[in-house]
Amino acid sequence: MAGVELSGVTKAFGGFHVIHGLDLKIDDGSFTVFVGPSGCGKSTLLRMVAGLEDVSGGVVRIGGTDVTDADPVARGIAMVFQNYALYPHMTVRQNIGFPLRMQGAAKKTVEQRVSEAAEILQLGELLERKPAQLSGGQRQRVAIGRSIVRNPDVFLFDEPLSNLDAELRVSMRVEIAKLHKTLGTTMIYVTHDQTEAMTLADKIVVLRAGRIEQVGTPVELYTNPASLFVAGFIGSPRMNFLSGTYVDSFVTLVNGVSWHAELDIDGSAEILVGVRPEHFVPGPASVSLPLSVDIVEYLGGTRYVYAALPGESPLTIEDRGADDMQSGSSREFPLDTSKALYFTPEGKRLYALG
Amino acid sequence: MAVSENGDEIDRRGWRYRARRSWQRHWQLYLLILPPLVYFAIFKYLPMVNAIIAFKDYNVVAGVWGSPWAGWKHFSSFFGNLVFWQLIRNTFTLSAYYVLASFPIPIILALALNEVRLRAFKQTVQLVTYAPYFISTVVIVSMTILILSPRIGLVGDVFGLFGVPAVDFLGRADYFRHVYVWSDIWQTTGYSAVIYMAALASIDPSLYEAAKVDGASRIQKIIHVDIPGLMPTAIIILILGVGNIMQVGFEKAFLLQNPLNLSQSEIISTYVYKTGLLNANFSLATAINLFNAMINLVLLVGVNAVAKRVTGRSLW
Amino acid sequence: MVAFNPDETSEIARARLKKRSLNVQLVDRLFVAAVYILLATFLAIVLLPLIYIVASSFSSPQAVSAGRVGLWPVDFSLRGYEVALRDPKIVSGFLNSIFYTVAGTLISVVLTIAVAFPLSRVDFFGGSLITKLIVFTMLFSGGLIPTYMVVRSMGMLNTPWAMIIPNAIGVWQVILARAYFRDAIPKELYEAARVDGAGDIRFLLLVAIPLAKPMIAVIALMYAIWQWNSYFDALIYLRTDALHPLQLVLRNILILNTQSNLGDATAMLERQQLADLLKYSLIVISTVPVLLIYPFVARHFTKGIMLGSVKG
Ligand SMILES: Nc1ncnc2c1ncn2[C@@H]1O[C@H](COP(=O)(O)OP(=O)(O)OP(=O)(O)O)[C@@H](O)[C@H]1O
Ligand SMILES: [Mg+2]
Repeated sequence: MAGVELSGVTKAFGGFHVIHGLDLKIDDGSFTVFVGPSGCGKSTLLRMVAGLEDVSGGVVRIGGTDVTDADPVARGIAMVFQNYALYPHMTVRQNIGFPLRMQGAAKKTVEQRVSEAAEILQLGELLERKPAQLSGGQRQRVAIGRSIVRNPDVFLFDEPLSNLDAELRVSMRVEIAKLHKTLGTTMIYVTHDQTEAMTLADKIVVLRAGRIEQVGTPVELYTNPASLFVAGFIGSPRMNFLSGTYVDSFVTLVNGVSWHAELDIDGSAEILVGVRPEHFVPGPASVSLPLSVDIVEYLGGTRYVYAALPGESPLTIEDRGADDMQSGSSREFPLDTSKALYFTPEGKRLYALG
Repeated sequence: MAVSENGDEIDRRGWRYRARRSWQRHWQLYLLILPPLVYFAIFKYLPMVNAIIAFKDYNVVAGVWGSPWAGWKHFSSFFGNLVFWQLIRNTFTLSAYYVLASFPIPIILALALNEVRLRAFKQTVQLVTYAPYFISTVVIVSMTILILSPRIGLVGDVFGLFGVPAVDFLGRADYFRHVYVWSDIWQTTGYSAVIYMAALASIDPSLYEAAKVDGASRIQKIIHVDIPGLMPTAIIILILGVGNIMQVGFEKAFLLQNPLNLSQSEIISTYVYKTGLLNANFSLATAINLFNAMINLVLLVGVNAVAKRVTGRSLW
Repeated sequence: MVAFNPDETSEIARARLKKRSLNVQLVDRLFVAAVYILLATFLAIVLLPLIYIVASSFSSPQAVSAGRVGLWPVDFSLRGYEVALRDPKIVSGFLNSIFYTVAGTLISVVLTIAVAFPLSRVDFFGGSLITKLIVFTMLFSGGLIPTYMVVRSMGMLNTPWAMIIPNAIGVWQVILARAYFRDAIPKELYEAARVDGAGDIRFLLLVAIPLAKPMIAVIALMYAIWQWNSYFDALIYLRTDALHPLQLVLRNILILNTQSNLGDATAMLERQQLADLLKYSLIVISTVPVLLIYPFVARHFTKGIMLGSVKG
């Protein structure tokens, strides 16, 4: 068991900089998820922790030891790949036992550990099959099995579920969460599916273009994003952004609706107002927003209303009302301004004072 | 470039670091590749060094380095020799004839095979025409000799059918090139067609559908879809052939040679063999060889430049 | 002008199309017939000489020598084969060729993998330089005599080594194997193996080679057929008859008309007739092993040509 610490880590492919001086501490036993848009450097970062990619600068520590130049096998890590990376010519048993055989473990030990892993992952009947004879979910379980037999200090997952269909993804997600509970080992998990990030993580690291945008628990990132980028990235459906102005402690939207707010800002400015879909509810600080309804999606208990201010792109509103709502009709929606977040047009968070 | 943040970074760029890292990580691979590298050094690069004897009067006792320098003597004696132009002409003509004659036939075979819907027939033709590729040169040449023999061969019978006296193809110098080229075409057409078959198989099927919708006949389809689809492959093969034009193989020409056809069948490689190994004139033979190798290199590099222009792809 | 009537025009168009497609159908029929005739001709041109050789090899010495054999054996006899298989030179040539082919192929395949696998790894420092140096040997060589001098100085002249070592590695095969290792084996497998603690050699033996079996089969066959069929190295490097491979023995008998041991035939005429017949039988004997396995390997060979087209 071990924590992971990156300090001043950089990575360049040739002259192309992918990771820019990154510092990060991952606690022992935690489940950390790297999220971010495609190409932001999540896999590269994970592979540098694994030792599959050399760092261009900085230091990587696992369990306090400097492993910057160590071989992957010497780091006490195990990795699960997006495309499973099972050895196609070996049976499931041989695949799972492979790392142990490489360590020179005794035949007996290998057998015992393989059957233990197979039990945890319910692979019992499949042990004599080849990977080609398995379903996607089974293959990924074998890959996980191969990683747990070694008792690694750190598990690394690079989008392990993205090749699976939606239903399987959910159940495998639950299995991975259970695995983390059982083993209690440090896990680092890369995904661009923010639902996976929210449900699995103790801590989420949001990456953007090779830099850390914010680190925090899922709730922190959701309720208190540090930037427009994080606010827009975390949460599904996405946060709504309305353009407005801030003059003399008053926020005014394009349609003239305005309310009082004390922001950390001098004088007047163009701002963006961020409102989550579930914050269109009446409350003590509510204002009323006249919108024209575009489309209504019924999800059973709730419904999503897509409605727009004139000339603006539609907002997503989570609504629990049961009344009939016609598309094309105009309505007033309440907006709880106490929950609204404010950003500069460049994406910086503007904190409310007091 | 970016200034390092911890002084360590610069150390991680540059070839020294990569070399050290690569050695740490892959020392097993360096050990693995060592024997093949020794092989290439000894059997491919050492001969290039030895080729220096083209500029020396080599004798066994003094060895490569001890033998006296001779400058361009061997080259000028070769250029001044009467056989020089004959060798160049023979080599070039034979090769050019072969490249041109052997170019269209595999294409025709592939196009025709592509039209056949009877799988069994198609496979039989492919299997049979491909087979001679696997027959050795010695056997091909002796088959040629036997079949063309006026006394016992098959060709004698054919001439007999028309009541004409059989021609002795191997006894006359004029026929040498035809025999050489056409026996080669007999041997390799099926093999070469495979490459074109692959090119045909990779043509976008929607082009065929479009042709069908337009009501094109099969001939029109061949002209407008198949042949354009084959063009890139065909051009590369033709260009490669031109690049190798001064590099006619020794094996077959040597076997087909006899005193009667020598005036056309003596080519550079056979002459090198005779000068070097039979007459033991190492330096002269090496000079001739070197001259030929230089021409080949220039041709290949030139041809590659053309290929890059035409196809956008380098041959190596 | 008459009013434009869409129905009418389309009807005419349809009729025209129908007529045209009838024409097209007729042309196509004729064309297909021509294609079959053409292919049958190809087939005959390749097949007839082969049949003639086989038919002659099973005929009597007299019939062959008189040129009486066409496409069917005349006076069926096995005399040619009898003489061939009794000739110690031919038998020893056959055995030598088997040895050279097996040993040579083995060494060639091992060396080819040993060079191609490291070159297939992207982070193998020096790989691109080594690749260039190897490809260069395809474009330029020291030539016959300088190579001969190297083989001589290595003490390989007139030893079996001369048949196996000097041409052990084919550049084309290296390019092919390298492309296969690089493109056909997912790089994640290599990374997984590194995480699992398999070094390069163990990865090669336990993962890469088992997965590269089709490619290895192809290059092994290429080497084997090349070894079996070549005579040039034997011609320049081997003096002793006892070391000669079959192809060189064949050359002496078939092309140089060196009389082989014709057993009890003593009369001049009979000797000549037997010598003629022997050639046909020898051609069949030496080619049958290759042509017997050929139909089974042709598919792989075709694949090999395609593999090569994966850019090196
Ligand atoms: N071997 C390489 N050589 C050059 N550039 C690379 C290499 N590997 C990755 N990159 C570049 O580095 C950047 C980060 O890549 P990385 O694979 O880490 O992205 P990612 O965040 O994992 O994206 P995704 O969600 O699509 O997997 C990308 O712009 C990519 O093009
Ligand atoms: Mg990735």
